[in-house]
Amino acid sequence: MRIVVAEDLYLLRDGMVRLIEACGHEVVATAATGPETLDALLKWRPDVAVVDVRMPPSQRDEGLRAALAARGEVPGLPVLILSQYVEQLYARELLADGSGGIGYFLKESVFDADQFIYALERVAAGGTAMDPAVIAKLLSSGSSNRRLDRLTEREHSVLALMAEGLSNQAIAGRLFLSDSAISKYTTSLFGKLGITDDDSNNRRVLAVLTYLNNP
Amino acid sequence: MRQVVSWVGSACVGFVRACVVVIVSMLVPAVWAVAVAWGIWWGAGNPWSWVAPVVVAGVGTFGLSRPVCRMFRSLVARWTGTAIPDGYRQAEPVVRMSTGFWWNGFSYERTRRDALMDQRWRIWWSDPAVRRDLRFTGIAPLTAGVIAAVPPAGVAAAVLGFSQPSLSARLVGGFSLLAAIASAPYAWRAAEPVAARFLRASPAMLLAARVDELTAQRADTTVAQAAEIRRIERDLHDGAQARLVGLGLSLATAEKLMETDPDQARALMRQARAGATTSLAELRELVKGINPPVLNDRGLIDAVRALALDSPLEAAVTADVSLRLDPPIESAAYFGIAELLTNAVKHAHATRARISVARDGTGLVVDVEDDGRGGASVRADGGLAGLRRRLAAFDGTLEITSPAGGPTRVRIVVPCASS
Repeated sequence: MRIVVAEDLYLLRDGMVRLIEACGHEVVATAATGPETLDALLKWRPDVAVVDVRMPPSQRDEGLRAALAARGEVPGLPVLILSQYVEQLYARELLADGSGGIGYFLKESVFDADQFIYALERVAAGGTAMDPAVIAKLLSSGSSNRRLDRLTEREHSVLALMAEGLSNQAIAGRLFLSDSAISKYTTSLFGKLGITDDDSNNRRVLAVLTYLNNP
Repeated sequence: MRQVVSWVGSACVGFVRACVVVIVSMLVPAVWAVAVAWGIWWGAGNPWSWVAPVVVAGVGTFGLSRPVCRMFRSLVARWTGTAIPDGYRQAEPVVRMSTGFWWNGFSYERTRRDALMDQRWRIWWSDPAVRRDLRFTGIAPLTAGVIAAVPPAGVAAAVLGFSQPSLSARLVGGFSLLAAIASAPYAWRAAEPVAARFLRASPAMLLAARVDELTAQRADTTVAQAAEIRRIERDLHDGAQARLVGLGLSLATAEKLMETDPDQARALMRQARAGATTSLAELRELVKGINPPVLNDRGLIDAVRALALDSPLEAAVTADVSLRLDPPIESAAYFGIAELLTNAVKHAHATRARISVARDGTGLVVDVEDDGRGGASVRADGGLAGLRRRLAAFDGTLEITSPAGGPTRVRIVVPCASS
């Protein structure tokens, strides 16, 4: 994959570039500020970009804004946001355009190289990958619960893992169930959430959106 | 008919009140009149006869000024409901120092009695309220006293006029009776504006009170800040720092074991990674408690939205989007809302909350309402008291109405100009 890495701390940026290259992918450009990030994203059109939220010059959410602006120009440009913190607010903003290709992870997810690269691949393929911390917050927050009340316990956990960006096989592995059981659950939860779309990737994104969005 | 009855009632009440106002406001002039009469009566052959009347007038004026003012305040409060704060300087408690001397806020005295005497004298002498009261005793008879005197004086003139046989005197008596009756319901009312204008705290008193208030606030703020810094230091010391030491140890051991026992080394590496993750999570919580990143990135409104999303309550936020305030005020408001939402979940067992953040003419107004079981109150060492102290640093206020059974409504007001 061709990847752009946007991160202002040199150590982290360098470490991430090494990690990505060690896994056999190519880093086509790096950026250290918000404007640089936007330029790099629009110039290189990478398969996926890794973007830090807080960056110079303002030390506010420059990276997030750059990613959103780039996706405004190039719909569906895959971006994996890395941050020291997960905020539902940011997750919702990223998912708002509904075109998928979005990931949102805590920075320490790079400790687990395999998981990190897997998330990058998921996002590059147009899926969504959410940090378990975001999911945990969502499950405990009051606003999204009513919408999901119709789901069974099992469907809930399937949807949560789906939001993390796992494939059906991976979900089956996590829950110690068969693939066919998982596809049965996904079909029923799509039905309950009123999602009827043929493109399975898009269906998953929509399900996650339903999961994240305020009623 | 009913109107006539009520008018007569108010005229009777007004007449009585006017008499009371006259008596109270004329007390000091009456003392002066007595002193002057005494001087004239004595003064025929004695060149020193003026001394005693002057002493009487002086002592009478000083002694009566405060009671007269107190009476005026209580009368106005009872009749019109206008409460006028007296603003007399309060005595601090007299304390015994380790040296054995007594400190009364001004000086050290050998005995408690001396300290109290000295304190009373100094407070009386330095209290601007004394000068204000003296001024009022001079002003009141010439304003409220004169106006309130119209009905009783009219009645007196009528009695005098009708007792004379001549027609002109009776006419004058008739007119003065009319004037007395017409002015009876209204004459006493002059007492209120006069008292409100001249019995208020003077600018010097207000300033002194403000200085006291700010001194107390400063003490509160510094204590709170020191406690906060201690807490942060402790958290860093016991949490992240200790974990990093452990991390270094694990890595050093893994390095040693690389050649001899690669499996053990790998296990240690995994442990180290888990430790790094945990200390990051701890640091994240700590930073959130100091200054939430979303507040830094987006400002108060989005930070409150994020709070509402993270809260287990169904929290609706209505906010004025264009609101940007100074960071310290935003921070205080944010932590205030966070505290209130936590209380709503923990103590009130609420399921819904409404948060509104807006500006009015004077500053920032935050309303938080929940559907919990109510009964919340500000306890001396509770979170709400701490919040109130934190807001006080900006002259902010916190009002809470929380009847048993709910709903709890809290309003935070911080006066500020938006930037």
